[in-house]
Amino acid sequence: MTATTSPAATAPATAAPLAPAATVSRALKAEWTKIRTLPSTWRTVVMAVVLAIGMSLAVVATDVSQWHTMNAQQRQLIDPTSTSMSGLIIAAVILGAIGVRAITGEYSTGMIRSTFTAMPARRLVLTAKAAVAAAFVFPVALLGNVVGFEVGQRLFAAKHLQVTLSHPGVLQALLFGAVAMSLIAVLGVGLGGLIRHTAGATTALALLIVGGLTLGQFLPAAWREYLPGIATQAAVTVHRSAGLLRPDTAIAVLAVYAAIALAAASIRIAHRDA
Amino acid sequence: MIEAQHLTKRYGRTVAVDDVSFAVRPGRVTGFLGPNGAGKSTTMRMVLGLDAPSSGSVLVDGKPYGQIRDPLRAVAALLDAKAIVGGRSAANHLSWLAASNGIAPRRVAEVLDMVGLSDVAGKRVGTFSLGMNQRLGIAAALLGDPQTVLFDEPINGLDPDGILWIRNLMKSLAAQGRTVFLSSHLMSEMAQTADHLLVIGRGRILADASTDEFINRNAASSVRVRAVQQADLADALARRGAAVKRCPDGSMVVTGLDAAAIGGVASAADITLVELAAHSASLEEAFFDLTRDETDYHAGQLTGATQGA
Repeated sequence: MTATTSPAATAPATAAPLAPAATVSRALKAEWTKIRTLPSTWRTVVMAVVLAIGMSLAVVATDVSQWHTMNAQQRQLIDPTSTSMSGLIIAAVILGAIGVRAITGEYSTGMIRSTFTAMPARRLVLTAKAAVAAAFVFPVALLGNVVGFEVGQRLFAAKHLQVTLSHPGVLQALLFGAVAMSLIAVLGVGLGGLIRHTAGATTALALLIVGGLTLGQFLPAAWREYLPGIATQAAVTVHRSAGLLRPDTAIAVLAVYAAIALAAASIRIAHRDA
Repeated sequence: MIEAQHLTKRYGRTVAVDDVSFAVRPGRVTGFLGPNGAGKSTTMRMVLGLDAPSSGSVLVDGKPYGQIRDPLRAVAALLDAKAIVGGRSAANHLSWLAASNGIAPRRVAEVLDMVGLSDVAGKRVGTFSLGMNQRLGIAAALLGDPQTVLFDEPINGLDPDGILWIRNLMKSLAAQGRTVFLSSHLMSEMAQTADHLLVIGRGRILADASTDEFINRNAASSVRVRAVQQADLADALARRGAAVKRCPDGSMVVTGLDAAAIGGVASAADITLVELAAHSASLEEAFFDLTRDETDYHAGQLTGATQGA
């Protein structure tokens, strides 16, 4: 046994009491290590970006090809910025699943016990998972948004509809789109902690986001705009349109969903045997 | 040092762990022995703060587990070796554990080397055999060089080399003055590894004694003897208070006197011995003797008898 002679051995006795800040940064570092060392995270990211950009460009191409059949009012409604980010709805489901699996993957294998033995502060672990999922998703979503936007504007240029990054509201839309994805990743962590099964939590997430788009038709119009899927669409708009919240309100609504799910998961995790 | 005081865990109406008190002391391997379902894993989970006790308490070095800062540097546990997300490499699995407790990253390579997994450090854990997973679990337990180590059924899935290796590892950890708490239902393993035993059955501690003491107390050693004057010897031994059981092959199994005493009895009565063979009881016999009589009455008596140890 070489263990006793290693410097790590003396740490418990000699280390000065740690500030809680150190515990927080260790939890963040541990969860960051987990998310980046799982190959499936990276496969998921690539899939999300490819599918989202693909869907965005398909919607842009459809608008461009139908431009000549549109009346003046329909033409007025086209928002070249948000249209070039139409795929965010798909990205939300796939990137949200990264948040879900950050926690259900551990419950389904039993590794959650290793996690809670290493880090007994369970709420801190959950919060760290949420923070890390949000931080991981943000640059990915931003990259996808920028690529979708740039290519989308090239297509819109055929009808001289294109806008540029310097156009008022465009940068905010690109950023808000990424923030929305981060918040949905946090929602995923919350749902994962509540439901604890990958299939169940992923389905719940998909229903909340995409299901709202179709089932929402049966809701009063005033409620519909608060559904997470609709709020995600509203977050990236530049033109104000009826039936959609203002972008900043939409982000706040998504933040409330994420906070509620995370708080509920936090209560459940802290009071249950692992 | 692990101390449990009136530790109890109920699941609905089922009592998994029933008012258990014990101390696991440093410097020796303490075996936690009991059949499957006796409450071993539940007790270990409560030690680690994973399950909350219904009542009572359990402290590690005087603190509840949840209050230990950087717990992996103080206590480590090998629970279920298969309970691991398979997509990560062995080294990356240890890396997040190290990061979570502020352990130097180079320690990862050290412990992988100690358990003999250096060659597969970069391989996905999902491709590992149970034995490799077990070694990885041990590497994870040793990562923070903890003073207290819990092993739950550590030899499951290990080959004979691996079993010998982990047995020596546990003994050397104890020899370094660490607290080693080993749970198993395998008695041969316990007999060879544990210095001290906590025997648990149906959620209650049935015995808390050194391994030798437990065997001596709970299973009688016997002597097989055969004499030319078999009947005379049986009478003489019975007069000395020994229990004599006649076997179909003509020999007798004597309990209550050791081989030297039997020889003395025979010599005094001028009896010629043909065979005199001592048989020391095994842990297995002791365990079955104890648990066979595990009606509430007998269990209570035996617990009372061994608790002073």
